[in-house]
Amino acid sequence: MATQVETMPRVRTPLKEQFLDWVLTTDHKKIGILYLVTAFVFFLVGGIEAMLIRVQLAGPNGKILGPDLYNQMFTMHGTTMVFLAAMPLAVGFGNYFVPLLIGARDVAFPKLNALSYWLFLSGGLFMNSSFLFGGAPDAGWFAYAPLTERAFSVGSRMDFWVLGVMLLGIATTIGSINFIVTDLQLRAPGMTISRTPIFVWANFTTSFIAVFALPALVTAIVLLLLDRQLGTHFYNVQEGGNAVLWQHLFWFFGHPEVYILILPAFGIVSEVIPVFSRKPLFGFMTVAFSSIAIGVISFTVWAHHMFSTGMSTASLYFFSADSFLIGVPTGVKVFAWLGTMWGGKLRFKTPMLFSIGFVSMFLIGGISGIHVAVVPVDWQVTDTYYVVSHLHYVLFGGMMFALFAGAYYWFPKMTGRLMDESLGKVHFWLMFIGMNLLFLPQAILGLEGMPRRVYTYPAGVGWELENLISTVGAFIVGVSILIYAVNLVQSLRKPPTAGPDPWDAFTLEWTVSSPPPDHNFAEIPTVRSRRPLWDQKYPELADWKAHR
Amino acid sequence: MSFLKKVLFVIMGLSLSGCLAPVNIFNTASPIAAAESRLFQIILVMSLVVFLIVDGGLVFILIRNRSRGDDQTPPRQVYENRLLEAIWTGIPILIVVVLFILTVATMRAVAAPVRSANDVVVNVVGHRWWWEFDYPGLGIKTANELHMPVGTNVHLDLTSVDVIHSFWPPQLSGKFDAIPGQTNTMWLTSDVVGEYPGQCAEFCGLQHAHMGFTVVVESKEDFLAWASAQQQAAAQPEEALAQQGQKLVTEGICAGCHAIEGTNAKGMNGPNLTHLYSRKIIAGGAAPLTEENLAAWLRDSEAMKPGNLMANVRVQEQHLPAILAYLRTLK
Repeated sequence: MATQVETMPRVRTPLKEQFLDWVLTTDHKKIGILYLVTAFVFFLVGGIEAMLIRVQLAGPNGKILGPDLYNQMFTMHGTTMVFLAAMPLAVGFGNYFVPLLIGARDVAFPKLNALSYWLFLSGGLFMNSSFLFGGAPDAGWFAYAPLTERAFSVGSRMDFWVLGVMLLGIATTIGSINFIVTDLQLRAPGMTISRTPIFVWANFTTSFIAVFALPALVTAIVLLLLDRQLGTHFYNVQEGGNAVLWQHLFWFFGHPEVYILILPAFGIVSEVIPVFSRKPLFGFMTVAFSSIAIGVISFTVWAHHMFSTGMSTASLYFFSADSFLIGVPTGVKVFAWLGTMWGGKLRFKTPMLFSIGFVSMFLIGGISGIHVAVVPVDWQVTDTYYVVSHLHYVLFGGMMFALFAGAYYWFPKMTGRLMDESLGKVHFWLMFIGMNLLFLPQAILGLEGMPRRVYTYPAGVGWELENLISTVGAFIVGVSILIYAVNLVQSLRKPPTAGPDPWDAFTLEWTVSSPPPDHNFAEIPTVRSRRPLWDQKYPELADWKAHR
Repeated sequence: MSFLKKVLFVIMGLSLSGCLAPVNIFNTASPIAAAESRLFQIILVMSLVVFLIVDGGLVFILIRNRSRGDDQTPPRQVYENRLLEAIWTGIPILIVVVLFILTVATMRAVAAPVRSANDVVVNVVGHRWWWEFDYPGLGIKTANELHMPVGTNVHLDLTSVDVIHSFWPPQLSGKFDAIPGQTNTMWLTSDVVGEYPGQCAEFCGLQHAHMGFTVVVESKEDFLAWASAQQQAAAQPEEALAQQGQKLVTEGICAGCHAIEGTNAKGMNGPNLTHLYSRKIIAGGAAPLTEENLAAWLRDSEAMKPGNLMANVRVQEQHLPAILAYLRTLK
């Protein structure tokens, strides 16, 4: 396990060379960091947009944003968080850690990997540049036709959205194919499918979903672009088009997209919880196959976003039943995490706290997800703040908590430095309390009849208190993110004392120095079990003796 | 009302006497919404049980299995338990089957009955950003205020002239989309006389927030009286000022979009104004109908409802008294 990197005399590389080094790099670790840093910046941008939304809605008859600006804010908040923050954060971790976890020196196609990042960055910058050219997209992140047609959406706002999403779609497709080939071809000798770490399983499933779901989205946006620019009539009802076609195409991508977001989160906590419980993941194969089950079923539930569009009763039954069904493999995972902790020796370091926060918040998101699969209940709550609450329990309470777990867990590997534990705990508790204040009142608001995407509401309808609490919660979350940023900067200034394995972890990335040397492994390791490093440290309890 | 009390109220559907009846999906005025909210309550109770068991279990494990002191020895390494895994796969499947049966039962209970001769049929047309209600059987066209007799089945045929909207009166029923190029059907029925607010639920552009409506459930006599008043053409104004206003409205730019029965105003794009003063709200619920609000609207509707499609029309101050005097006669 090489540490020669640290012993070399430190010569300061000129800034220009450093810059070129990052721009021209094809190293999966550098690209991973580029992804993570870029996506975190976009996360802050999307967060500021969310804060503006909450300020506008803090009281009735808000005057901070007019309807025009408000619509741009919620559209760009959703689009940014989904496409520019959540997805690339997961891709960033995948980029950095998949090769390390499988004992490879890089991804299968390093140059494609770089292309994928630069396309992502261009797509993000392009879409956000619309703020400078007559306004940002303003039709919601799912951009329903015919509202997005030329007749109802003037200017080039939606063209920015279409072309931006197209660049991001290409980036994700390239990245996903790269991951699939890497996961299948570059595993170290002895790493059979069933010994492959669970984060890699999640990465593999996610990449497959992306490759099969994105064509529907690209089809949808190409048709929209043709409608807008060449005057075709795919969604133009007045000329014989179909208004609901967009929704079918979009959600055929859009629902699997939810799992593109959440499966990497499952993967991260399935790595973190065992390490901090000092036990193997309970029911490994059940967890692995539940990801595959979720991936497959996710393609057959899209119309549960469309229960109020006037579908036939038979379709309603089908999509309702199927949506319930997806709760089963999801539940299996939750039980597996509890089973992992049961009988363990739990160490409540920050990554573990965020993982526990993930389990309990995702549980609320999952349960409220079942609610909206119940057709008659969905008729009431769809398109209200109940859904806003639900999706944020899944994506913020779920996904973002897991991503922060990953950020704290892998930070020492990426930088050689441990993050400050006290600040980490403050971050966790503020974010945990803040998000519940933020999103629980929104569930109540939905039941009280508040539709989503309204830029204001009148006084006296009984929505004031809930909205105010929600806004206070948003500020608490905002403060917690600032604390994280402070911790990040502070920790980077500390000396690199983390060592290769600060958490007493299990998997291959912790066998090399922190940060890992240029090509990861001087010698490609041979794997005999799911926890190669554990076997090395605890030979008498080695997994391979138990045939895992 | 304290927040906690309100939460309880909302979740349990308890009625609190002495409070203004709040709008929520549990405070229902129709068997349709009641069946939907009953189902939701059952599922909420089931959810709460699941949540308490799982999160309770989580907290219990966190306390029970926290590492103590400097104990560095690893715990017993347990990899799996096929029976346990089968059980916790099986139980969710059972729950899901129960949920599906409950779902189907409620869907059948709230399905629209066959239309009969005594039923009222209303064509509901979504416009940016107001609702048009046409009663084809009664020859009535009105806006933003849906009248219906108590204890009668009312069938709605929903469509839209522009983008997708969604028709949602929470206390009466779940929502259905008004989609251009297709007609969706839903039905309403109510046993309780009253006025129930509703709102567009599908994002439809700049003024999605101000696309409200009111459902007025009234006794059969009141409904018939309302209907026969609505069927009349607009009365010829007697007052000179109002006559002047009539000329301005029916021969001016207003008639391009608005219709007033019995006059030359036959526009189709804006709300029918024949009985404007019988309604309680203007501009899709952006304001209650008062003379001041109407005047403010006519002067500068952009200020009241930014982006509305009448925003380029600004009535000059000198014409305002006459136009208001005329509109006042449209009862």
